[in-house]
This record gives sequence, structure tokens and C-alpha cells, in this order.
Amino acid sequence: MKKLILASAALAFWAGAARAEIKVVTASSDLRYICERVGGAEVKVESLSSGDQDLHMVEPRPSMVFKLKKADMVVRVGLDLDMWMDSLINAAKNGRLFYGQPGYVDASAGVPLLEKPEGKVDASMGDIHIYGNPHYWLDPANSKIMAGNILAGLKRAAPEKAAVFDANYGAFVRELDVKLAGWEARMAKYKGLKVITYHSSWPYFARRFGLDVAGHVEPKPGIPPSASHLDGLMKKMKAENIKVILTESYYPRKGPDFLAGKTGAAVVTAAVSAGGAKDVKTYFDVFDRVIEGLEKAAGK
Amino acid sequence: MKKLLLLSAAVLVFAAGANAQESAGTPPQGMRGTPANLPDVSALGNITGYLSDDRADTGRNELGINEVETAFQGYIYPEMRADLILAIHKHDGKYESEICEAKASFLRLAEGLSGEMGKIHLDFGRINKLHSHHLPMADRPQVLANFFGDHELAGQGGTLKYLLPFIPFYTQVQAGFWTMAGHEHGVSADNTADVLDTSLSTVTVPALIHEDADFSPAGKVYTARLNSSFELADKTELELGLSGLKGRGAHYEEHMDNVEVTGVDLTLRLWPSAYKRLTFQNEWLHLKREVPAGTLNRDGFYSFLNYRADKYWDFGARFDYAENAWPGISYERALSGIVTRHLTETSYWRLQYKHRNLDGKNINEGWLQVSFGIGPHSHELE
Repeated sequence: MKKLILASAALAFWAGAARAEIKVVTASSDLRYICERVGGAEVKVESLSSGDQDLHMVEPRPSMVFKLKKADMVVRVGLDLDMWMDSLINAAKNGRLFYGQPGYVDASAGVPLLEKPEGKVDASMGDIHIYGNPHYWLDPANSKIMAGNILAGLKRAAPEKAAVFDANYGAFVRELDVKLAGWEARMAKYKGLKVITYHSSWPYFARRFGLDVAGHVEPKPGIPPSASHLDGLMKKMKAENIKVILTESYYPRKGPDFLAGKTGAAVVTAAVSAGGAKDVKTYFDVFDRVIEGLEKAAGK
Repeated sequence: MKKLLLLSAAVLVFAAGANAQESAGTPPQGMRGTPANLPDVSALGNITGYLSDDRADTGRNELGINEVETAFQGYIYPEMRADLILAIHKHDGKYESEICEAKASFLRLAEGLSGEMGKIHLDFGRINKLHSHHLPMADRPQVLANFFGDHELAGQGGTLKYLLPFIPFYTQVQAGFWTMAGHEHGVSADNTADVLDTSLSTVTVPALIHEDADFSPAGKVYTARLNSSFELADKTELELGLSGLKGRGAHYEEHMDNVEVTGVDLTLRLWPSAYKRLTFQNEWLHLKREVPAGTLNRDGFYSFLNYRADKYWDFGARFDYAENAWPGISYERALSGIVTRHLTETSYWRLQYKHRNLDGKNINEGWLQVSFGIGPHSHELE
């Protein structure tokens, strides 16, 4: 009898230890960070991309299918940026994650969008996103909406833990508000600062902090710069005294370095997602580092 | 009792009402999309220039449209998709239209189980399932051309796929049953043979010819495939596959041949940085062809090494070894160099050079390929 009780206790302990944490797969490392903040100890989150990857170009792999197969919830960036996710969700055959099912979360839902094209859209415009610019997470204020979408998804997955998720969400938003106020204070003196960016990744960031994006190294989204385009950009930078080039860490430095060499501008290479550089471990670090870089470049 | 019945009825009505309210409500938060009940419609074109120093090659030194493909793709029901892919392609200098693929996919029949029905490119090895515009090379590896014919091996039928749940890495098993048309035979006044008649005089008669001399499996065909993937490191993935096929030859009425093909594939992929990728892909096939006179055993393989240097450029090299499927065995070795410049996900241009040695005869070939896509076009995860 004693043995039976001990065995039952051990079994109960094992069952408790192996209690179901919510398995979440995210498209980006930023979404993983936010999901971990909102889910806390109740979630185990994996991201299908690393912070140093271009989210347009993630290559689906069988190992990703396997992760989705086991997941309770998937969180995607949406707006056609992570279209590679569709084939993965289909291949995983996990009924919880199909579009419209409780485990499907599109973090972009409710985000006010910029650069929403109107009229006919085709490849002559480059790699254009029909729903609007998908780099919305680069406005830190949008992370409240992203976290809200994740919160709703987690509550669907585990309604009994809603109070824990609400508390975690509240803590995340409070920390964000403090940080956002600090970033806005630091960036206040750079309102109207003209910058050149490599790709059209920064309109949300620019709007939040009052930067003026005067041009892009790419002539059109996704199209590599030609010599004539760089020449025109160089003339514009000289004419308008543009002294900052902001480029994502995964893009080649050749174009920005050429422009910097000809105009004396400073190049700020920024990780756009958590884990995109050694000193960018969290979603908040992304903004700490970009703003540091801009302060240095603008102060030159 | 009456009260109890009334109470139960009221509870049922309330529960039904609550359900109806739930399903008629707004979609769960975290969803977005513009309602539009339209399929994804796309078109692809493949312009190919082909050069060869083999004077016997009738298709050499030509530039023109090689293939046009249109696709209509979308969901037809929750967890059910339809893909209709129609193509016009060049075959022996003539344009032929065909249903390239037309399938209904049941994404989730049960936990981990999915299925497809219709006309489908068979999931055998790494490459057969891919449409030609999706290949990382201008031509198909010679072993596939020798054992499956000039085009992807496609059949009408169905397949079941099961993603194994209880092992700690990706493994999928699948089995399919297909029917495939045999090759047509005919007679032609241009092809004659001298035979003896009953008076032992020689007469010239039209001879039976193959309109298409490709070898390929046909008739009732059974396939099976097991493929696994191992994440060796954060950005390194090893994929292994085993494939099997059993059927008859495409010229069964003439050759009475039963066919078995076995395949093993191994692919290693590394992603050293955001855009760089190294792929080392290998596929070996063994053909066993039983004919009344005996059994033919034939082998072939290819090794393909590809380096994606950045977002736009791919550099590849391929070695081919292939024996043919016919009684008179031939041996072919070939080395190819391939450069691809990507414009978009579905548009690129490509240059390829290939040096072949077929039973001691050296042949040099070259391709210029421009492939373009308009509209949203997707294929199943490879």
C-alpha cells in the first residue's frame, strides 16, 4: 500500500512537472520576446527566424514544420511579410493553427498602417506590400497592439490563466511607456532630421520620432541600387545636407559606404529585431541601440 | 418531472443560442485580411535558349518560349485547398497543352494525416515534385530524364501523408496509388522495315515506331516515401529521404516490363548569414526493369552544390552519372556550371553550361533561361 501511495505521489509530481505549458511559435524574434513577456512562465516560445534575418527572405524548412506541428499557437507578423509561413502551417497539419482557428494570431491586427498602396499594384513598383508597409514593429508604441493580439491568443489557449496574462501584459505596457517616454525625450532634438534609409523599413520609426526619410538606397523596395540611382542620391544628400544613412544590419554595406564616402555622412547600422546584434538581445534593445547610433551620427 | 423536462429544454435552447452567438460573432482577435472570395491567379513563362555542338540534336541552337504555366489556387473549404496548374510546353519542337497538376489537398484528415487527390507530380526524391521553373537548374538531372522521361513524372490518383508525432524530429511517411498513361505507339510510312512474305520475297512495310521514345513508369503505379529532417545546428539542416515506386513500363504492351525504382536522397543546407546559403543535394536512383528475357538493373545519381552568395545571386555545380533504361546499356557522365540572378521570388535569369560524355562521345551544351512570374504563385513546401 505504501509503495502504491509513493508511486501515485511520484506520478502526480511527474504530471505536475510536465504540466502543459503553452507552446507558441512566432515568425520573428520580436514577437517571441513580446510573447514571453505576456505569457511569462506559462509559455514556451520559439521563433522561426533569428534577429539577424531579413523577414522577407526566410526559407521554410522541415524542422520548422515540426515545431509548428507541436505548437498550440502561432504568431505571425502578417501583412504578407511572412508569406513563407503559409506553406509551413499547411505542411504541419495542425488544426489549431489554421487561419481562423483559436491558435492563429496575426500580430498586425489593429495596427494603423502606413504606405498603404492605392490603385493598381504590380512588380514595376518593386517588392510592394499590398496591405501597407509591414515594418510596423519599429514603432515601439505599436507593440502594445501586438501584445494585445498575443494576449487575446493566449487567453483563447488557456482561459484559466487569463489573470496571469493580464498582469504580465500590464507590466509590459508599463515598462514600454517608461521607455517610450525616455526615447522620445532623447529624440526630441532630432525632430525633422533628414535621413537616408536602405530599405523602406523605417517609416513607423520615423513617424514616431519625427525623422524625415529623404530617400532610400534601394531605388524601389527590394531592387538593388544602380550606379545612376546612387549618383542621384549622392547629389540629393549634398544639396540637402543629409548626414545620416540608416541601414538594416543584414543589407550590404557597399551602397551606404559609397554614399558616406562621397558625402561625409555617417552610416548607422541597426539591428531591426531582437537578437540582430550582440548587444541587441531584447525588443527594447532594438530602440536603445538605434537611438544611440542616431545620436552619435547626428552629433558628428 | 414536467418542470425538469422544461428546464432541460430551456438549458438546451440557451446552449444552442450561446453557440450560435459565438459562431456569428467577430473573428478571434489577432486576425486580419480583406474578405475576397477569389483564388490566387498567376502566370509563368519560361524562355529558353539552348546551344549544343551535337549535330544530331534537332532542338539545338534555338531561343524561344519553352513553357507557359497558369495557376488557380485557393481554399475550397476549411482545411481543403485546390490547385489547378495548366501548362503549354514545348516537346520535340511542338507545343502541347496539358493539365500539369489539378489536385484537391485535404490538409488535415486526422491528427497529422493529410491527403491529395487528382493529377499530381509524384513525391519521389527531391526534384520530381518541382515544376521546371522552380528548379535551381535549367535541365533535369540525367538520371531522372532516363528513368522518368523528359518531364516530371505525374499520375492521376491519390496519396496519404502522415507526419509522425512521437519522434523528436520531422519525419513524414506517405503512400500513393496512381494511374499513368502509357506512351502511344503508331505506324508511319516514313519508318519502314524489309520483311519476308509467305513466298519468301522481300517486301517493305510500315514499321511500328514509338512516337515518344522516353522510358518512364506507367499503368498502375504505387509509390511510397519516407523523409526526415534533422536540425544539426541552429542554421544547419540535414534532410534524408527514401522513395520507392512500383509499376509497369510505358511501353508495356511491347516490352511486357515490370518496373521498380528505388531512390535515396540526402540534402545538407547551411545558412551562414541572412542571405547566404550553401546547399549540397544528392540523389541516387536504382531502376529494376523485369522483361521476359531477364532483368535490367540500372543506376544513376547526381550531386548538386549550390552557393547563394547574396539576395540575388546563386552559383551552382552539378555532377551527373546515369545509365539508360534500355537493354543496350549506355553510360553518361556530365558536369554542369550554373549561375542564376534572381529578380523576384518567381522571376530570374540563368546561364548554364554542361559538358556531357555519353559512351565516350563529348557534347557541350549551354542554356540561357529567363523565367518570369506574374501574380501570387506558390507550390507545396519542398
